[in-house]
Amino acid sequence: MFYRENGQFKTSYAADQAVFPILQDRIALAALLFVLFVVVPFTFSDFWLNSVLTPTLIFALAAIGLNLLTGYAGQLSLGTGGFMGCGAYACYKLTTIFPDVNIIILIFLSGIFAAAIGFIFGLPSLRIKGFYLAIATLASQFFLEWAFGRIAWLYNYNASGAIEVPTRTLFELPITGPTATSATRYLVVLAIVLVLTFVASNLVHGRIGRAWMAVRDMDIAAELIGIRLLRTKLLAFTISSYFCGVAGAMMVFLWLGAAEVESFDINHSFLILFMVIIGGLGSIIGCFMGAIFIWNLPILLRSTFGGLIDAATVEHISFMIVGALIIFFLIVEPHGLARLWQIAKEKLRLWPFPY
Amino acid sequence: MEILFNIFVQPFIEMFTAPDLLIQVLWEGFVSGTLYALIALGFVLIFKASGVFNFAQGIMVVFGALSLVGLYSLGVPAYVALALCILIMFLLAATVERFVMRPLVNQEPIILFMATIGLTFFLIGFGEFVFGGEPKLMITEELGLPTGSYDIEAFGGLIILQQIDISAALIAGAMVAALAVFFNKTRIGRALRAVADDHQAAMSVGITLQQIWVIVWFAAGIVALATGIMWGARSDVSFALQIIALKALPVLILGGLTSIPGAIVGGLIIGLSEKMLEFYWGPMLGGSIESWVPYFVALIFLWFMPQGLFGERIIERV
Amino acid sequence: MTTEAVTSAEAEFRETTSDADAAASAVAARPIAADREIVLAVDSVSLSFGGVKAIRNVSFDIRKGEVRAIIGPNGAGKTSMLNVINGFYHPQIGTITYHGKTRKQMRPYLAASQGIARTFQNVALFKGMSALDNIMSGRALKMKRGLLWQMLRFGPALREEIRHREVVEQIIGFLEIEHIRKTPVGRLPYGLQKRVELGRALAMEPELLLLDEPMAGMNLEEKEDMSRFVIDVNDHFGTTIALIEHDMGVVMDLSDRVVVLDHGELIADGTPSEVQANQSVIDAYLGVAH
Repeated sequence: MFYRENGQFKTSYAADQAVFPILQDRIALAALLFVLFVVVPFTFSDFWLNSVLTPTLIFALAAIGLNLLTGYAGQLSLGTGGFMGCGAYACYKLTTIFPDVNIIILIFLSGIFAAAIGFIFGLPSLRIKGFYLAIATLASQFFLEWAFGRIAWLYNYNASGAIEVPTRTLFELPITGPTATSATRYLVVLAIVLVLTFVASNLVHGRIGRAWMAVRDMDIAAELIGIRLLRTKLLAFTISSYFCGVAGAMMVFLWLGAAEVESFDINHSFLILFMVIIGGLGSIIGCFMGAIFIWNLPILLRSTFGGLIDAATVEHISFMIVGALIIFFLIVEPHGLARLWQIAKEKLRLWPFPY
Repeated sequence: MEILFNIFVQPFIEMFTAPDLLIQVLWEGFVSGTLYALIALGFVLIFKASGVFNFAQGIMVVFGALSLVGLYSLGVPAYVALALCILIMFLLAATVERFVMRPLVNQEPIILFMATIGLTFFLIGFGEFVFGGEPKLMITEELGLPTGSYDIEAFGGLIILQQIDISAALIAGAMVAALAVFFNKTRIGRALRAVADDHQAAMSVGITLQQIWVIVWFAAGIVALATGIMWGARSDVSFALQIIALKALPVLILGGLTSIPGAIVGGLIIGLSEKMLEFYWGPMLGGSIESWVPYFVALIFLWFMPQGLFGERIIERV
Repeated sequence: MTTEAVTSAEAEFRETTSDADAAASAVAARPIAADREIVLAVDSVSLSFGGVKAIRNVSFDIRKGEVRAIIGPNGAGKTSMLNVINGFYHPQIGTITYHGKTRKQMRPYLAASQGIARTFQNVALFKGMSALDNIMSGRALKMKRGLLWQMLRFGPALREEIRHREVVEQIIGFLEIEHIRKTPVGRLPYGLQKRVELGRALAMEPELLLLDEPMAGMNLEEKEDMSRFVIDVNDHFGTTIALIEHDMGVVMDLSDRVVVLDHGELIADGTPSEVQANQSVIDAYLGVAH
């Protein structure tokens, strides 16, 4: 009864085109943002900030990146981990070379390097489609993994091959490195993720998003209405890799504090892909839902059954559950949690009536 | 100038001044190639008959090998264990058909592909849960497979041919030939090809989809089991083995997803080029370029032939 | 077939009429098409796929502002002909002249950017989007705001979006599909999908509109509506239309000139009444061996 559009008439196309046309949605979003920015940093424990919220946000951003490419533009990619790594190593080199430049700026800049690599590996999409393209993205994944290990310059010739994050500050407050608090890091991540989510949302609601979806749904028809296929696909690869690159940089600098070669291996690519599938292909809010679900399921299992079963078994069981759930979702609701959420809202509109 | 010399001249000098090494490398490449072809074959089988790219083929290889070793360690005699494993692969095929394929029958291929990724993770978790994650030894001798080697003196050096490799190549060849005959000459094989083209059309002429899928997943399971035994005999049996399946992907790009001869030719090309490039050009780049070189080789081929060497040319109709 | 059967079939063929009488008189009142300037000409075009010859040495032209029907039995090569004009298929022999420029083949982007739009036999809508978004995608060529503005949305990009939305809404009103504008097209009935597809083509503000069996699978009422839309587009916007159609009544009433293809060859080219009387056309349709 309270979730109705009664009395909310759109008197202009601008109002109709809004991303959150229903007033109740806007209020809910504002409240959520308030809680996230103001309430959480001061009330949640370090565990929640470090192990739940910060990684969920970071992976959600990577999921948005992958979703733009796979969910909106229809180009299946298995190279997400590699692109995240590009961003992370780029950021590391940038801050090594320019230690005085603000790290947040460098994080945004490092995405550009990932975007450039994404552009190059997107070139095959001119000629190759479908599964073959997915296999081609694996080429990028394996090549980048190899490069991260081989090119010693990337990790400053460190003997172990790993990188450690130096302390960087914002207005005298440490935000990266061992001295930065969980709350500070969480807030920076939250801000960056929000900004980029805003950008992603704008893109998909405009002509670029439509061009992507046209290429995804029927690229032949898209070509015949004047959409340039290569340009559109390359744009998808580039922007997607940018998002993944920033996510990777944040992963290392604002969450883990360190990285090694395995940090960006193919398992990460699958992790993000699962978040996108379960959350819903072609849905930005789905990325958040997928990230929350996939990342926190093992944590939930561990904390519930932690005393009863050992850690290794918990991991095995979470693999099984994730795998089974993927199949389940694909059967029951291929559009993922986002669609379930939409259906719930539809029902909420009619509540308390059943239909 | 020196770089050009290193790339274009030096490797060939090395090749011809030590022909025994060359033959050794070629042999290794050939053996890898046949095994890649075998894995690729598992993919091709399922794709030909159901249009599904079965990402879980790799984990099926591991699963088959683990089951065999696991049963043996419980005290079951080797050949009985083998027979039981075949049964297990059949049960796996039936389960996958019932719970994954049937509910998703009319969905787009990409959805089915993602379902097989889900299946992979499920089987990884399940396999680790049941068998444990440490590497195990394949029961090579117990199965009657030879473990020695033939040491041939030639070209002033030594060429070592592992007998297990020879057996692997022979068994792989035999399976490939058997499958080719099956697909092209038998009634069921024809039905499989019909199903691959159009599910609903095949159903409307009375072919039961369910039976076909169980057959084809079972066949892929057998191939996976054989692959697991062969690979496991050459290294050991662990979950790292499923990465080998990812090696089969460049083979599939090259050979096309629907062609059995393509899988063979592709496998040999990838196997040979991978070993040659790694051995003679790899050191320049710091080694272990094996992990990505096959993909690049395949990509170059794919650029000029987007459906692979043998794949069907898709004519788009509007 | 007996002689009586053939004669009566011929008589029936000549007598097909449609209910859109107003449309008939509107077409009849227009100036003769053959005198106007040429918009598009295909010259000696031949197209084959592997061993199959889809089009053999076909030449005809389309004049400004006319409604040109392309008819012929199934498999005659009509859709292939449209695909050649679009640049989707490339003919082995022959040329295409558009806007005075002669080319060996068209390219899809070129065709689209030079004002050729098209609908398809099997509706080629973007199934994942709503009707409104599908038609908006037709404005793709006209929307210019760059990447950075798109990322910001508020400001020039949004204003451009609204401007184009207004144009699209006019098309939606014209095609009477306001009630389904937000519906995902996959859920729409076939007839409405075809209308949305027409809307998408119209959104390109084309000079030459290619319609591939726009009335296939429609009932009488839907056909009347579609005929009305086609005539209105031709009348109000002056759009040149090339139309593949099987319903003889529609063809006779709507078109200025007709091209008849059979087995990839051109067997007749003229006004509807000329073509209707042409013996080889009648033979082609009745399946007389030749």
